[in-house]
Order: sequence, then C-alpha cells, then structure tokens
Amino acid sequence: MKYLFVALLGLLIGAGLAGTALYFNPFTVHTGAAPAAGDRVLRYSLPDQVLTAAVGEDAMLAGRSKTVDGLWEETIDRTAVLGLVLTDESGQPVAIASRLMAGSPSTDLLLTGVVLSDYWLVTLPGQGTLFVRSDSNVWPFLKETLLPVWLFDRPWRGPAVYRPTVGPNAGNTASVLGVAGVFEGKSGSAVERYDVTAFSPAQNSAAAVGELFVHLPEQQVAQQ
Amino acid sequence: MRALFLLGIVLGFGGTLAAAHWVPWISHQRLPSQTTVVANGGRAEQFLIRLPADRIAATDAKAGGLRSAGADSAMVLPAKFVAEPLLVEHYKVRDSTGQVVGIAARHWASGDHGMTATWSVVVPARGSLVLRAPGEKSGALDTALQRAGYTPGSVWEGTLEVALVPGGTVAGGTGDFAGLSGSYTETWKITGVDANGAMRGTIELYTVTRIP
Repeated sequence: MKYLFVALLGLLIGAGLAGTALYFNPFTVHTGAAPAAGDRVLRYSLPDQVLTAAVGEDAMLAGRSKTVDGLWEETIDRTAVLGLVLTDESGQPVAIASRLMAGSPSTDLLLTGVVLSDYWLVTLPGQGTLFVRSDSNVWPFLKETLLPVWLFDRPWRGPAVYRPTVGPNAGNTASVLGVAGVFEGKSGSAVERYDVTAFSPAQNSAAAVGELFVHLPEQQVAQQ
Repeated sequence: MRALFLLGIVLGFGGTLAAAHWVPWISHQRLPSQTTVVANGGRAEQFLIRLPADRIAATDAKAGGLRSAGADSAMVLPAKFVAEPLLVEHYKVRDSTGQVVGIAARHWASGDHGMTATWSVVVPARGSLVLRAPGEKSGALDTALQRAGYTPGSVWEGTLEVALVPGGTVAGGTGDFAGLSGSYTETWKITGVDANGAMRGTIELYTVTRIP
C-alpha cells in the first residue's frame, strides 16, 4: 500500500510538472507571419461587424452563449459560422465574408497548439470572390487572455495583439484561391491579425479588431 | 522507495507529454462518404439542404427575395450593400442519406463580368469544397414560383423544380477534396411557401469530380 501511494504521488507530481511545462511551452505559442507591405487589408470589428454567428455545441466563442443558434449535430458540433462585414483601410464596407470554422485534428498540445481550420469565403461586390483557407493557432489567445481571466478570475491585461495564422502554406501563411470575378484563377497567400480591445467575462462581452492581409499577384489590378 | 517515487515522476511527466502529443484532442465524427462511381469516370456525390430546417442565416437585402424573407436569422447588410445585387446564405449540409455532415456558405454577387454564385462547403471530418458558377438572374426563384401560381403573402403548395445552376465548376478543395476538378449542378425543389415567405423544399448540389 505504501509503495502504491508513493508511485501514485510520483505520477501526480510528474503529471503536474508536465502540465506546467505544457502551459509555458514555447513551441505552442509561436505566432504567424507578419503582413507584407502592399497586401490588401480587409478589416473587421467584433462584435459590431458580425452579421450572424452560429456556434457548435462543443465549440466556444468568447462572449457568446453556447446555445445561440447552436449547431448541435455530432458531425458539426465543433464548428462555427460567422458572417462578417469587411472594411477597407478608410473604414468603408467593401466585402462580405462567410467564415466557416472547425477545430483542427492537427491540434497538438506539445508542438503546434490549439489549431482551428478557417475557411473564408470573401465577396467584394462588383469585383469577385476569394476563398481563404487558414490554420489558426488560438492557444496564445487562450493562454494569455481567455484562461487567466475566464478560468482563474485574474484581471484582463489588454489590449493584446495576436497573429494566429500558422498555415497551411509554408511560412505560416494561409492559402488564397481566386474563385470568381477578377480574382478567378489567381492564387496567393494571407495572414490574419487581431487586436483584442476589450474582454469581460463578467459582462459577457468581448471586442476585437481583426485584419486579413491578402497577397495576390497583380492585386493592384483588382484594387482599381 | 525513492527509486519508485522518481520512476513515478518520470512516468507521470512522460505520459502527460505523450498524451499532449498523441491524443487526438479534436476529431470530428465522420460518416461514410456517399459517393458513387459514374459511368464515364470520376465520382458523384450529392449534398442536400432541407428547407427551412437547415437554413442558418441569409442577408436581408431586397435582392434575396423569398430566400431572404424566409430566414429566421437575418444578416443586416450595411447601407452601402442594400441596393447591390448581393445575397449571402449559410446552411447546414446533409449527405444523400439525409445525415447532417457539414456547413456551407453561398454567395451570389456581381463580378467583373456579370453575376456569380459561389459555394464553400465544409465537411469537418473530410475537408472543404469550393464551387463556382455563373449566377442566376435576380429573383429567379421568386419568378419561377410566381409562374407556378404563388402570390406574395399567400400560402402556396405544390412541386416546383428550378435548376438554379445548370452547370457549375468545382473550383477547388482541401482535405479529401484537394486536387479534385469537376462540375456540379444546383437544383431547388420547392414544395411549399408559408404566409411569411418561408420556403419548404430541398436544395440539391450534385457534384461529379475526378482527379485530373
């Protein structure tokens, strides 16, 4: 009995040490690439420019109830659907985006972090439609913002800037496919950056300003 | 005793790290793919959307007509886009047996050379499929329903089949759908409209794909 207790105590201490190591693990907090000069910038503001949000029962978005427009079926209960208005750098609406998200099986708490598969369908009326496929590591946001404040009741130390894009392209960028209109047949890359400007679990509120930096060859033509 | 304690620490530490790395923390339930082989090569797969149950949201602009009116959750467009020919719809997607397998967005908008219709279909356990086609005429479904006897504001029962996209293109895909090319059709089979404009029926996306 004594031996069993000692072995269990050792296991628990080892697991605790590993948990601490995982929490401060530098491999899972790496951020995405910085946007390049000349990229087209599409901005959104949360929650102001959210047209609609449907969240899977086993998914979670900060500041939203899990029961709102729930996607309850087991095949989609870890997904979310967002409708967003995207603005240009001057703040004028230029695009509508449907952002379909699903937890990624490539999530690895040791090496990559908590990864979301992001599928953007972005339509710029009068121009065309883009499809953006992105892997987003949300572990830095969870670790620095959500868990300390929401789980451990610590005061929020914001604002905080995140660059979640970690793939699927080499160089930690998302892949862009021109689907229709002036973008048809083109391909490129993108990165996302967002700035959490307010976060209050007590008031069930959160605010963020996000930017999607899209790099397409000959995009100057499209911008005209 | 000390050796056992140290061994416990090592096993606890290593086991937790191994679990962090090897345990599939996120896995989506996968249903068997309902694909069939077509006679001239390639594979066919049909996705269904049941109305109104599978509608998640639609934009509220006039261009949407009944497709906007029947939505429980309206996406309120900014004023700049209200007069634009623009319709964004979000749906749940089923396989040909009627099981929900994914989520989808449909964008109907003006491009540089006329209207375009694009779909992003995401099946979490398999990947995503991107579809592209020339867009239907504005109010195409409303016009077809009115020809079939529907009067706005009234209840309509019947059977109407509208080939909204008679010939579209599979523009891309990821995961299981990566590298596929092919074609698709989009057919709306409407069986009724209630007094509030909510449609009953099925949207059928029929894809034929192959690896080039």
